Amino acid sequence: MAMLKVEDLSVNYGYITALTKASIEVEKGEIVTLIGSNGAGKTTMLMSVSNVIQKSSGKVSFKDEDITRKASHKIVKSGICHVPEGRKIFPALSVYENLWLGTVGHGDYNRKKLQELVERQYDIFPRLKERRNQAGGSLSGGEQQMLAIARGLMMEPELIMLDEPSLGLAPIVVEEIFELILKIQKSGKTVLLIEQNAAMALSIANRGYVLQNGRIVLQGRGIDLLHNEEVKRLYLGADE
Amino acid sequence: MEYFISQIVNGICQGSIYALMAIGYSVIVGVVGFATFTHGEVIIMGAFAAYYAFQFIGSIHFALGIVAAFAASWLVGIFVYKICYEHFFEAPRHIALICTIAISILLKNLMQIVFGAARKPMINIIKNKIYTFGMIQITKVQIIIMLTVVLLSVLLLLVFKKTRWGVSLRAISQDKSGAAIIGVNVKRNALLGNCIGSGLAGVAGFLIAISYAILYPSMGSTFGMKALTASVLGGLTSIPLAAIGGLIIGLIENIGITFTSATYRDIFAFAFLMIMLLIRPQGFASKKGGRP
Repeated sequence: MAMLKVEDLSVNYGYITALTKASIEVEKGEIVTLIGSNGAGKTTMLMSVSNVIQKSSGKVSFKDEDITRKASHKIVKSGICHVPEGRKIFPALSVYENLWLGTVGHGDYNRKKLQELVERQYDIFPRLKERRNQAGGSLSGGEQQMLAIARGLMMEPELIMLDEPSLGLAPIVVEEIFELILKIQKSGKTVLLIEQNAAMALSIANRGYVLQNGRIVLQGRGIDLLHNEEVKRLYLGADE
Repeated sequence: MEYFISQIVNGICQGSIYALMAIGYSVIVGVVGFATFTHGEVIIMGAFAAYYAFQFIGSIHFALGIVAAFAASWLVGIFVYKICYEHFFEAPRHIALICTIAISILLKNLMQIVFGAARKPMINIIKNKIYTFGMIQITKVQIIIMLTVVLLSVLLLLVFKKTRWGVSLRAISQDKSGAAIIGVNVKRNALLGNCIGSGLAGVAGFLIAISYAILYPSMGSTFGMKALTASVLGGLTSIPLAAIGGLIIGLIENIGITFTSATYRDIFAFAFLMIMLLIRPQGFASKKGGRP
């Protein structure tokens, strides 16, 4: 049974159709990636899973529970964390406060647990420890992205959804982030990854979906998609 | 010279009340995300609540006044939130704004019907004493008012800095959808933020009534505008800067009337706002955490 199951999801923004009957499935422990060009509906997909936008039709279920109409903050509580596009960290709050907010999602929590969780993130991201009292907005782009991911991990989610974590970052930092994603998977979490950088994403993903104009046009194992002629032509920039 | 100094003391005292109103205003604007024009009525509601609490309960303890003012304005805060904000988060912003103007008119007239439009003398709850330190003279009422404001501000600061709930309120004031995604219940916290802001405004109204020794339903609108002014000076959502804005307005008013007459009190506050907006439209604020 799939951990996250999106069935026939359609989303409209006014007269514009963002998603048409798109279905995806994410199994426990996988890295699944969603690739597609700008405006294909990738971000819309994640936003409908965390229910921050209105869906026209379709069903979303997580661990056999229907979360189609569940309030966003409750979805977080049930174990899905969404690291949004453009990181959305809180620029005027300190790094520590940003991390602290990651715990808002879960019910049982105390000082000791908070300290433990924060220390765990500092182990993974030593840079954040150095800058813990600095305002979030003063970090570099890569550090902000790491803060956003760390804040997501503070929620102790089972499924972590990353929306374009490589956006606007230097290639070396992108590599660091992708290694991190593999590390997250090894720690037993499931990852749903959205990427423009299709080659990178497909090379680490177990499975992938290709979105085009709001429809899923292709799906398969990451490695197969990487060598698929269509994908190569459309997203990887191979010559005709 | 002595008159001038005592006006400065008066200015600081009055400024601290304005600061409390402005803090309330900034909490509301920050957490709810809408400007409000009911603030003046909320302020006076607090004063009336304290007045009637003294009358009906019989005790004239200062703390009772504060609790009554805070609680009554908290309830008004819920009322305003339910009518003006709850359904309009997705709507264009002017709808909530106009709605608060309507509620302000409604509340003002309701208060005139229920409490009467006439001026009421506020019960004298603090035996007045004047302390003299060299050239400075300060009354006991003024000291108590300033202490109350400082105490409440420190309390609010502690909540905002040291509790997870307070930090999430600050997060909401920066980015609502970002806060929702990480699991903050934005609507419930917006309601609570609106109530806290209103409660503080109510306490400020109680303090105003004590310091003027008078209260009537229509006195709120000027104070509402002054809270807005102070909050605009601080950049609308910054709480410490709004407090400084309030203090400065109180000082400017009182220094201004040493040269003219008390009739012109309000002119100074609003003239100062206009000059500030021409020179520095963003208020005192410098963007924190922004990268160029």
